Amino acid sequence: MPSLLLAGIAAAPLSPYWLQPGLTIALGVMRRRHPDLFDRLSSLDDPTYLIDPVDLPLVFVLSLNPDHPQLSARRHGDGANTAATIRGPLMALIDLLQGRVDGDALFFSRALLIEGDVGAVVALRNAVESVEVDLLDDLLSVLGPLARPAGQAIRLGNSLLARAARDLAALHTAVLGPALRPPNKMED
Amino acid sequence: MMLDRPDQGGEVPARGDARTKLTMGPVLFNWDPKVWRDFYYTIADQADVDSVCLGEVVCSKRAPLFAPHIPAVIERLRAAGKEVVLSSLALIMAPREMDQMRELAATDEFLIEANDISVAALLEGRDHGIGPFVNVYNEGTLGFLAARGARRICLPTELPAGAINALQKFSAELDTELEIMVFGRLPLAISARCYHARSAGLHKDNCQFVCGQDSDGLVVDTLDGDPFLAINGPQTLSASYLSLAAEIQALQAMGIRRFRLSPHSMDMVKVADVFRALTTGTIDGEEAGTRIAEISGSVATCNGHFHAASGCRSLCL
Amino acid sequence: MTGAAAMELVCPAGTPASLKAAVASGADAVYLGFRDDTNARNFPGLNFSRAELEENLDYAHGRGCKIFLAVNTFPAAGDPGPWHRAVDDAAALGVDAIIVADIGLADYATRKHPNLRRHLSVQASASNPESIRFYQRSFGVKRVVLPRVLTIPEIAALNREIEVETEVFVFGGLCVMAEGRCSLSSYVTGQSPNTNGVCSPASHVQYTSEGDRLISRLGDFTINAFEEGEPAGYPTLCKGRFCAGGKTSYLFEEPTSLNAIGLLSELREAGVTGLKIEGRQRGKAYIAKVVKSFRDAIDAMERGEVIAPADLSSLTEGGENTTGAYERAWR
Repeated sequence: MPSLLLAGIAAAPLSPYWLQPGLTIALGVMRRRHPDLFDRLSSLDDPTYLIDPVDLPLVFVLSLNPDHPQLSARRHGDGANTAATIRGPLMALIDLLQGRVDGDALFFSRALLIEGDVGAVVALRNAVESVEVDLLDDLLSVLGPLARPAGQAIRLGNSLLARAARDLAALHTAVLGPALRPPNKMED
Repeated sequence: MMLDRPDQGGEVPARGDARTKLTMGPVLFNWDPKVWRDFYYTIADQADVDSVCLGEVVCSKRAPLFAPHIPAVIERLRAAGKEVVLSSLALIMAPREMDQMRELAATDEFLIEANDISVAALLEGRDHGIGPFVNVYNEGTLGFLAARGARRICLPTELPAGAINALQKFSAELDTELEIMVFGRLPLAISARCYHARSAGLHKDNCQFVCGQDSDGLVVDTLDGDPFLAINGPQTLSASYLSLAAEIQALQAMGIRRFRLSPHSMDMVKVADVFRALTTGTIDGEEAGTRIAEISGSVATCNGHFHAASGCRSLCL
Repeated sequence: MTGAAAMELVCPAGTPASLKAAVASGADAVYLGFRDDTNARNFPGLNFSRAELEENLDYAHGRGCKIFLAVNTFPAAGDPGPWHRAVDDAAALGVDAIIVADIGLADYATRKHPNLRRHLSVQASASNPESIRFYQRSFGVKRVVLPRVLTIPEIAALNREIEVETEVFVFGGLCVMAEGRCSLSSYVTGQSPNTNGVCSPASHVQYTSEGDRLISRLGDFTINAFEEGEPAGYPTLCKGRFCAGGKTSYLFEEPTSLNAIGLLSELREAGVTGLKIEGRQRGKAYIAKVVKSFRDAIDAMERGEVIAPADLSSLTEGGENTTGAYERAWR
């Protein structure tokens, strides 16, 4: 991950508090548009994951229980009751979300560290893979015109939505900046 | 501990009752031909078993080594009143192997045990046995094979008690007897590749019969030094020895009346004595475990598959 | 080609997204399974619901692609229902063939749905002409997927002796044991390919760090350890590092994948009909790339051209390729 981008993201106010509305919207979209993703995880007792981008000062707790899905950002994962932890650079995690790494390749590289129930992680990977569109694009598209580079989004105002859009857009920029992309050995 | 026989319920047959039988399975390892012959002589003369399987199951290259001794071994076993069963190869690929099996199937003097479906097909319409290397997992397959002449089926070793029970109930309606392997390293896999040769840096075609150096297989340890598996030419076995000593009563209660012991280099006559005593209710599983440990030099045992757990586990009833 | 039919490229799909990737990349047929233990890739989050199959059948058929349904585990004693329903639903939905391994289930399908085309799964391990003739005679199977134990000359000899089509694996994960006759996974985890449709299940995998080393374990056993910087593999039992006779090695097989893209014309000469790609558990990116590479190679071969095979090493385990049992030296 280029340090330039890292600096950009770190400079953005990625406070868990401000991120939460965007995350809730994103999860709502996911639930509405991709019910089969949840269905694929229905065999698990508790599809709850701690996702820890090691280069960001926060962690995500993702619960894909179809009745009460939740995605929250926190300062740290202490005390979170999760089936598994996926830890790695943001880039690697986004690759995972976009289906750029497959179930096997996930383990070929040591960019990601899996702790806990590996079966639950494989299930998540397979579920995300089953979505036919780019999940990240899909989530961002719900924000419509707001899903633009951070600077533009910020100018759109001070609403919670804009704030969420800005933060997500920061991630989006990071992902879609191919020129800035480091060679990633997990990529096909 | 020794059990007081009169305390046993009606489920356990009386001593000498012909209902429960023991089979000595085929020698799976590459023993020196004289050792192989003497093993069967000893079993013929001393072991309290009803049936004895012989024949190469694992690697066709070994068959010619002990072939010259087969007639004498058969004669000795028959003279001792034991049923002779001829076991087929488990994995048949080369035309030469197929031809050997056609020859085997043409024999009608003995019960032939098919360890590959090709051999069962060659025996269709005649009484024959099915070995543990053929996948008989359910009633559909059992019924299909029984209808084509399978009179005795030794079930795959990964089946749990529930499946054994269901299959036994089903076979009670058929003229087919089920057999359960109760002792010996578990046959876990068979391959075209020879791991013994590979471990010695040799090719299968020029293997120098290195598998002959390990009379019970070559133990494979994990990186932590835990005994894990055992290789026997192209076959992979468990490092632990299956022992269903403590489960014999439960199996008899289901109606199973035949058990298989898989030969190892330990004193198999004594092992057979232990299982005979178990089937007659003379000793219990705990006593049997103690005796097996004495006979075997305390090999690790396992019984997990029976209990629907990992096969490597050793669980209490 | 001398009037013989073109070889058929049979591709995996674990999800509808993969199926569409396979169809778009030139698959002649796609094989898949229901989301339960009736098929040999019963991995969490993978496979098709009935509704997904129905929808994707139309999609594939509309684009000239066949669908094969794998019902290739061995039904449980006392509970054949799920397997029978899978076969019944396959017939009702109109798949082009079912792929079965179990004798009892093949018998059920033959009696219940005589017009439903039957292929014999690799899990039946039919490695010789007598076995194959048994399945043909008893259940009218039209095609046999050969176990990955045979050399090309052996496959050619076999095809001369049998009347049914053969299909062979040309790419992907490589079983080193005869398929359907391996209970290593069951021994270690209690879950087996034959009964549960899984090998070395992720639910029993553990990764732990010891200093710079990453240890992979399956059940109670250490399968491998990786030094700092060494790519880590999934702890598939038969691809681990073990010690035997005082030596530590990949005793059974290195972490490697089958790639027979250089052997296609030999396989055609040997009389093979179906070329099968392994990997229902792999992602759509893998499917698209592998299927396209084989499509191009087959098409070039049919035109009598030779093209440089695409580099697929990034998609293989450990980046390593093998031609496996197709070459005698593998044994």
